[in-house]
Amino acid sequence: MNKIETTLEKVSSDIGSFYKYDQHHFIVMNANDLGDKIEVQWFFHDYADAKNITMFWLQCADTDRIPSINGSVASAWVAESEIADLLGLDIENAIAGFVLEHDSPIAPLRKKKK
Amino acid sequence: MKQQFEIPVGAQHISLLEPLHFKLTTENETIVDADANLYYVHRGIENACVTKFKYRQVPLVVGRVCGLCSVSHGTAAAQVIEKLTKVEIPLRAKYLRMLVIELDRIHSHLLCLAHVAENSGFEALFMQTMRDREYSMELLESVCGNRVQYDYSIVGGVNRDLRPDVAADIKTKLALLKPRVQALHEVFETNWSLSLKNKGVGAISKELAMKLNAVGPLARAAGVPIDVRNETEDLLPWKELGFEMILDTAGDVYARNMVRIKELYVAFRIIDNILNGLPEGDIANISKALPEGEAIVRVEAPRGELMHYARGNKTNVLERLKIKAPTFSNVGAMVEIFKGNQYASAPAIIASYDPCLSCTAR
Repeated sequence: MNKIETTLEKVSSDIGSFYKYDQHHFIVMNANDLGDKIEVQWFFHDYADAKNITMFWLQCADTDRIPSINGSVASAWVAESEIADLLGLDIENAIAGFVLEHDSPIAPLRKKKK
Repeated sequence: MKQQFEIPVGAQHISLLEPLHFKLTTENETIVDADANLYYVHRGIENACVTKFKYRQVPLVVGRVCGLCSVSHGTAAAQVIEKLTKVEIPLRAKYLRMLVIELDRIHSHLLCLAHVAENSGFEALFMQTMRDREYSMELLESVCGNRVQYDYSIVGGVNRDLRPDVAADIKTKLALLKPRVQALHEVFETNWSLSLKNKGVGAISKELAMKLNAVGPLARAAGVPIDVRNETEDLLPWKELGFEMILDTAGDVYARNMVRIKELYVAFRIIDNILNGLPEGDIANISKALPEGEAIVRVEAPRGELMHYARGNKTNVLERLKIKAPTFSNVGAMVEIFKGNQYASAPAIIASYDPCLSCTAR
């Protein structure tokens, strides 16, 4: 797996310049609660060489606003909205309540419950 | 602008098997916009896997994500943990995993085809397809002990060997099923009234399917070459056993039917090759190693690419488990495909997506 580190400031442009819809398949977005910070990951594979997986990743504070990549990857909003709900993250344009109902636990995948 | 109507389909609806809600905006009979809500059954399984269960129990727990592709989830979880614990499983276990995955694909594809027939108004074909599907259900029960929740893949291999009498039973029942599938193929391919409901309906172009990152038969019917079995030789030797990617170009309900039917033939071939070349040896390699680091694994479930991501910290409990189900990838495409179609076609289109909400919301 090819891991590419990025930052909150650069992630949209990094993925925007990497992703070509007819060459890359967006697998999913993921986030991990590391305790004092959050690690965010975006997974892609090449259509031509499907074993070749690329992961963009960054670490940020849980209060940081994470940019959306939906401008480059048209279906990313689904994964972004789910991660925003399950980890209680502030992701640009994420649909609040997409996965969890109003009476569900808040950010259930966070180690320290909100 | 003509007068528009918003028509809710679901979460409880005669043409839906699972709890999903589509909001279709129509002008006269034409759907001009669509929206979807797919999360009525979030059960917190990922959270349970990292708080309540030891890593060896995880493949059995994630089998509960979905009744239809239980073995895909269990196998993906077992494989990702085997990567974290650096365990190499015996070749016989790999073959047995593939056997159950392909039997599962047969029953799942036949279920989808049956529901497309039913939602297209062809009740008799629905009954016939469900009757033929019963062979695969009986075989899954013979091999795994259960018709639905197989609990077959474990960390290090599989939990049941294939007895000679069960192997013979598989050969006998598949010999009965193959001509029945050929008969179904002919009806789905040539029946005039069914083609009125399926040809040119619910179509998506290859370009749009790629832009929306669609997976599984939905993508392959539009010509997108994406099948995880084509690329995971290191984990399971699909190509060695006769895997062939099935593609179509039309991208409509009819093409999705054809892709699923042709994938049944590929499944038959793979199963025949497994039974004829099943290696001798152990069925599991049990190790006491603890999971460390991070890894991802992808398995081609009946509905498409299933991904499991796991992270371990050298304890008995995983630090993180992330499941990406095939239907989750197809949400964007599912919404777009409705546009421009007749409202009366919506049930057949939905069935042709073969959506699994249990997997998506998990």
